[in-house]
Amino acid sequence: MSTSSTSDLARAVKRGFRSVIGGRELTLLAACLGAAVIFTLLSRNFLTVANLTVVARNCVELLLVGLGMTLVITMGGIDISLGMTVGIAAIAIGNLLTAGFDPLLAAIAGPLVGGALGLVTASVIVLGRIPAIVGTLGLLGVYRAAIYLMLGGQWISGLSPELGQLLNGRIAWIFPVNFAVIAGAYAAAFLMLRRMPFGLHLLAIGAAEEKARLSGVKVRRTRFLAYVMSGFLAGLAASFYVGTYRNVEMTIGGTLVLDAVAASVLGGTSILGGRASLSGTILGVVLIRLLQNGFTLIGVPSLWQSVVTGILLILVLSLENVDLLRGSRTREIAV
Amino acid sequence: MSAIAFARRGGSKLALLAGLWLALVVGLVIAAPAILQPFMATTVLQFSTILALVSLGQTMVVLGGGAGIDLSLGGNVSLTSVLAMALVRAGGPAALLPLFCIGIGALLGGVNGFLVTRIRLLPLIATLATLFIYGGLAVALTGGLSISGVPPWLTPLGRGSVSGVPIHFLVIALPTFALGALILTQTAWGRWIYAMGHNERSARLVGVDVDGVRLTLYAVSGLLAGLAALVSLAWFGSARPNIGQNLELDSLAAILLGGVSISGGAGGVGGVLAAVLLIETLKTGLQFVNINSIWQVGIVGALLIVVLLADHLPNRRTS
Repeated sequence: MSTSSTSDLARAVKRGFRSVIGGRELTLLAACLGAAVIFTLLSRNFLTVANLTVVARNCVELLLVGLGMTLVITMGGIDISLGMTVGIAAIAIGNLLTAGFDPLLAAIAGPLVGGALGLVTASVIVLGRIPAIVGTLGLLGVYRAAIYLMLGGQWISGLSPELGQLLNGRIAWIFPVNFAVIAGAYAAAFLMLRRMPFGLHLLAIGAAEEKARLSGVKVRRTRFLAYVMSGFLAGLAASFYVGTYRNVEMTIGGTLVLDAVAASVLGGTSILGGRASLSGTILGVVLIRLLQNGFTLIGVPSLWQSVVTGILLILVLSLENVDLLRGSRTREIAV
Repeated sequence: MSAIAFARRGGSKLALLAGLWLALVVGLVIAAPAILQPFMATTVLQFSTILALVSLGQTMVVLGGGAGIDLSLGGNVSLTSVLAMALVRAGGPAALLPLFCIGIGALLGGVNGFLVTRIRLLPLIATLATLFIYGGLAVALTGGLSISGVPPWLTPLGRGSVSGVPIHFLVIALPTFALGALILTQTAWGRWIYAMGHNERSARLVGVDVDGVRLTLYAVSGLLAGLAALVSLAWFGSARPNIGQNLELDSLAAILLGGVSISGGAGGVGGVLAAVLLIETLKTGLQFVNINSIWQVGIVGALLIVVLLADHLPNRRTS
């Protein structure tokens, strides 16, 4: 039994990571293009270099948080406190800048603080054996109070533009730094999920935790590391956030989590774990930010953004499941 | 699953909660002796009704298993109060306001049930999405502003009290909890809920209409959120688009503190009510000693984690 289940698992892991562009990715691409065409027809300001640059700019933080979320979801977990992780890391960066520290140091402090918070999350969930959704919901509350305590109801604002110049600048006058960092992060994650034991273990745990354990995967260590990693990525996102907006406000990171979960799941990463698609996450992020930008341009107040994302999430997942259900009516919800 | 083991565990849980509550009260009295006044008890109960109703709904959904959870309850309370008031403002008969609340709440809960049982979305994702939809709609439709104009005949329900006990606690919270306990322990339907939460496959095999029961559970949970919305309208005299904020966190803390297993099939409503009173005493006490209300979110979150850390051994089936 153990040999057959081991090879089953190996097959599941191999199938689990979609490294090529498949049906889901093409659907998302078509949705992006369709949305772009509609917004171009509805608003003259949509298809301009300036506006598309804004859309690309708005994708930066979500791409990083979405990558972290994808890794965690791949192993069947979730971290809904990641938005607050971004917030706390941003406050740390803002305080360092205000205190006159070097912007490079502040930029590095972001991912370090994020990683430290990821360590807390990992300890609570993995060492404390608490279900991820409940544990991170609890942490969400704790972090929200911590943010209030640190900000005292006031914004950190008017930060020097140096951090932004550093992070949104160009390497050798050509290559944008933010693009390079994101491409590097995704390339590393791609290699990890394709070739490295850690990435394969993530997929194995997501596909069948018990089988993975029996096959010798160090389940707890892998899960622990994944949460630290997603915290690190969220902290990195905070560096870019502060660099661009030059302020830190009370509501920072509020809707980032839903957007990140939506981007991952839209992209074809299974919320049950065991299936991941990085290109899907990227396209999911682009679609979400494109829709938010377009709706704002045609005059829909930004208050509606979370409504739109929520509906999009349900719509895409429903379409997928209706397809599945046509095959078998009796599929059960896995716990 | 033996009923006696349940009762025994429930009993020790209640004793633990009572102990915690006493320790809390003693601590508060030592910190601020002025807190020891009869009106403080009224205040605690005044704040308890909304959380109690929502927690009862959360209990039902979680008990039914299948990774059941309703993260949208807070958004439901906000949206229901906004929509019900909008209906009245648009010329609907004000006398029907309670019915509007109950109906809209049940409908929004039913949407969750539909997504979970018919479309087969994972409850976590479905209700996370509807939390953002409901909560977002409540804010977007009103622009973040309250809708006033609750008929004056409703306010005694929200603000009145009979010998120190708020009327809504007496006529809404207590009866619904009694009814909930009755249904869970005395009816076939209640047995089915425990059965499917405990082992869904066996429940199906013995002929329980698992999907039907589950759909109803989400609708009932929404209905209770609608009742909570009604209480908030009667209390504040206006529909506040952010009234339900953090209720998902608070209600989860309450039910887990109250001994409901997050994987379903175990727990009862008595512990949940006790946990609600404990949480509200804590919050009221903190407010009395002048600790900012944002701290409450943090403390409830920490409480949730600590309880689970202390309690995870009997609930090993999750992870």
